[in-house]
Amino acid sequence: MSGDLWLVLPLAWLLAGAFALGLIGRLWQVRNATLASLTAIICLGGLGLLWPSLIQTHTALHTATPLLTWGDAAPGGLLLRASPAALILTGLSLSLGVCIAVYSGRYMERDARYVTYYPLLLLMLTGLIGMLLTADLFNLYLFCELMSVPGYVLVAFRRHTDTAVEAGFKYLVLGSVATLTMLLGITLIYRGTGQLTLPLPTAVRAPWGRAGIACLLVGLGLKSGIVPLHTWLPDAYGRAPSSISAMLAGVISKSTLVLLIRLCLSLGVPARDLGLLLIGLSFLNMTLGNAMALGQRNTKRLLAYSSIAQAGYMMFALGVGLRYALPAALEAGFFLLLAHALLKGMAFLSKGACHFYTDATLIDQLRGTWTQLPLVAVTFGLALAGLAGIPPLAGFAAKWFILAAGLPARDGLVYAGVAIFLLNSLLALGYYLPLIVRLFSPPTQATARRALSGWMAAPLLVLSVLTLFVSLQPGICLTCARWLTHLEMW
Amino acid sequence: METVLLIVIPSVPLLVALLLTAFGKRAARAAQWIAGLGALTTLGATFALLPALHSGETPSIVLPWIPAANIQLRLHVDWLTLPFLVTEAAVTLAATVYSWGYHHADERSGYFYALLLLFGVGMSGTTLADDLFLFYVFWELMLIASCLLILVWGDGERRGAIALKYFIFTHIGSLMVLVGLLVLYDAVGSDSLAALRAESWALAPGLATTVLTLFFVGFCVKMAIFPLHLWLPDAHTVAPMPVTIMLAAAMLSMGTYGILRFPFSLFSRAQLEPFGVYLMLAGLVSEIYGALMAMAEQDVKRIIAYSSVSQMGYILFGLGTLNRVGIEGATLHVIYHAIVKALLFMVTGLVIRATGRRNLKALGGLGGAMPLTTVCAAIGALSILGMPPLGVFNSEWMIFSGGFETAHIVLSVLTLFGSLLTVVYALRFAGTIFLGERPSELTVESTPWVMRAATLLLAGLLIIEGLFPATLFDWAARGLPLLLKGALQ
Repeated sequence: MSGDLWLVLPLAWLLAGAFALGLIGRLWQVRNATLASLTAIICLGGLGLLWPSLIQTHTALHTATPLLTWGDAAPGGLLLRASPAALILTGLSLSLGVCIAVYSGRYMERDARYVTYYPLLLLMLTGLIGMLLTADLFNLYLFCELMSVPGYVLVAFRRHTDTAVEAGFKYLVLGSVATLTMLLGITLIYRGTGQLTLPLPTAVRAPWGRAGIACLLVGLGLKSGIVPLHTWLPDAYGRAPSSISAMLAGVISKSTLVLLIRLCLSLGVPARDLGLLLIGLSFLNMTLGNAMALGQRNTKRLLAYSSIAQAGYMMFALGVGLRYALPAALEAGFFLLLAHALLKGMAFLSKGACHFYTDATLIDQLRGTWTQLPLVAVTFGLALAGLAGIPPLAGFAAKWFILAAGLPARDGLVYAGVAIFLLNSLLALGYYLPLIVRLFSPPTQATARRALSGWMAAPLLVLSVLTLFVSLQPGICLTCARWLTHLEMW
Repeated sequence: METVLLIVIPSVPLLVALLLTAFGKRAARAAQWIAGLGALTTLGATFALLPALHSGETPSIVLPWIPAANIQLRLHVDWLTLPFLVTEAAVTLAATVYSWGYHHADERSGYFYALLLLFGVGMSGTTLADDLFLFYVFWELMLIASCLLILVWGDGERRGAIALKYFIFTHIGSLMVLVGLLVLYDAVGSDSLAALRAESWALAPGLATTVLTLFFVGFCVKMAIFPLHLWLPDAHTVAPMPVTIMLAAAMLSMGTYGILRFPFSLFSRAQLEPFGVYLMLAGLVSEIYGALMAMAEQDVKRIIAYSSVSQMGYILFGLGTLNRVGIEGATLHVIYHAIVKALLFMVTGLVIRATGRRNLKALGGLGGAMPLTTVCAAIGALSILGMPPLGVFNSEWMIFSGGFETAHIVLSVLTLFGSLLTVVYALRFAGTIFLGERPSELTVESTPWVMRAATLLLAGLLIIEGLFPATLFDWAARGLPLLLKGALQ
């Protein structure tokens, strides 16, 4: 084992933190708030430990020096590499992790088994970050399982409700099939090339290489909710605790999408073909996501379908960027990814706060939020308006960037895509706006104003301030998005 | 100095709105005065720009914003902008002052005034923006602010549904505009309108036609031209009166500004010529349809709302003539219409406040009880039907004579005679409410003096602008050389 220790420290820290929290919960009677604060501190510590790698990678990007690595590439070893895309996504998931941990300080209070919640959350984050940082296929599989298994448990966390268990079971079955398919794909690639270390551009021409890549595509595609592999997603997002839905929708599924693209490129799939595939699938994602969201009565399921649609917008932009070699389109797609993480995180957390205080699950039950929980109504409204792409919020900037970056392709497919995109964004108003209207409508029966706990208010405020900042000053977010466009760097 | 003023116009009300929101309940009591001060500052700054414009400058400012996407924050004022800028600032001030009487102060007043100012910022920002991205941001800001005002402070149970209808309808129009903006952005490779005006760029003929169609349809939604007007009567009826005043008097004309700023300034006469007759036709249909609906309505607020559809028809007709007189008349009509429409809505608001009724059948004979309001209503009604020497006569005259300069004499004759319908609904409105027998059970309560004072001020303004229109003519005429690539000189 050699290389830069800074790279492995965040991972080790999170893993150790997860075990420590599990142990603490087992040995002592700890209050939920204490565990939540510890989790937040662990995530913050992870962010701090990530900082040196970020700086190193920044210099590496500008001076063309090799990227930070850690570990060895021999079979059975673990190789990590600090690619810019992975670091940005790691930072994003840890930041959202901090918000979610603080939020859970109040949100999970009524759950009896909160002691297991925090270690699972940290393990899920560890798995995700490992997946992003690792540079060999076998460990990719291992980390993917490390991310998924806590995910199954967390989705079914509220096991006293049948629907949560059902959703968790569905996610478990489909997710296991997906990871097994990935394993099969990895085996096939290993058989063809005799290698597991990425990048592996010979894979596509190796015997059975294409089949292996297809298996990887299916496996990761399911994890990122690409239509028609999305069927687990509305149930899982709809039934999981809102904090977990925020994590799944905001970071995990979108990171796996990026990973899917990076993996395909590093395995030698031509960017043009991958782009075409993404554009084709994006139409399905947008249209199905929006059409299904229109008919939903449950707020979280609606948000879940909106995630599918938003993934479609991203795939369209990324597909255009790859197919026509337009870096601006890639940037626009990643800008949407970052903005979406903020907005969808905020939407799910606001929804959770409504549920916590008023037991609102259906859209109609959100009436009167403005009188009961004014701050939540504002943050929820802000998130929804942002997702709907209403200026001046970040969603609109993303829309503008995507359209403006796509047009120079001068291709019929892009024009058709732009038309579908615009029609879809119009369709989406059909479910975002009634939701906003309900938030600000008078309640059906007289209700008193509730005091929103600081544990919930703080992350919501931080997220809304960040959203406003990104909306009014998209430049910084765009710089982060530019890091993500270095997809080919391993 | 001018650059400071340029920044002041949108940012002072924006800051005031933010302050009002931040202080929320604590600022509720003082909100109306602070908001009035913000609106007054904007109007003052707008007039302070005049000397610079008269000396031939076009004040503009460029600030970096999103360098990564080559988007700058550009504000700019020229003679095309000014009439609209003055109208919006004045209407915002009038609506704010009117709210002092109309709006019952409560703990949410701060938010009401903040949104009112944001609505104004949306409009002044739209006119000042010299950047495609910024233009669209402000363009939608006025929609969001007005929609929230209707949603939270509107009258009646159905306000949620109506706010939704208003949003979706106008947003569809905005999306058409957005596509047009993006094509322009793509053509010149920058989002600067200055670059679009200065540099040579060309679109394929088919694409140019498509873009022009999108622009015209998109802006006509905002202007509420038949059959794209469906959002207007409901939104105007449900909105609280100050918001209705801003919607009808200022926001509708944003569509006109859009047409002048994009299709008319960026494309040549040859490219626009095929659209002229369709614009005239749409204007004519809208004029007659709006007037007929206003004649048939019983709800006093809806009568004035439909009259907006009709009046926007005149403006579109004037634009469609594509000649000097017609376009100048259309610009003038924007200003006059703003005054007269604000006046009529204020009168309607006074009547509703005094009697608690809004059905024409239940009203009548208020002349004795509300003498001042009656005089204002008479001035407003006579003005909108185009009686000299009141304001609107001037602009209608020019629009009609612009029509007769074109080859489409039949359309012009029809428009001229169509204006007779205005006489019917305007006199029916004023006559039924203020003259005749007063229903026995109709009681009249006193109205806040601020509302009456604001109404009287506008009535006076209408007479003054009708008698001494030289300044307004001058403003409207100076913008003309910027249009149709200079073909109007």
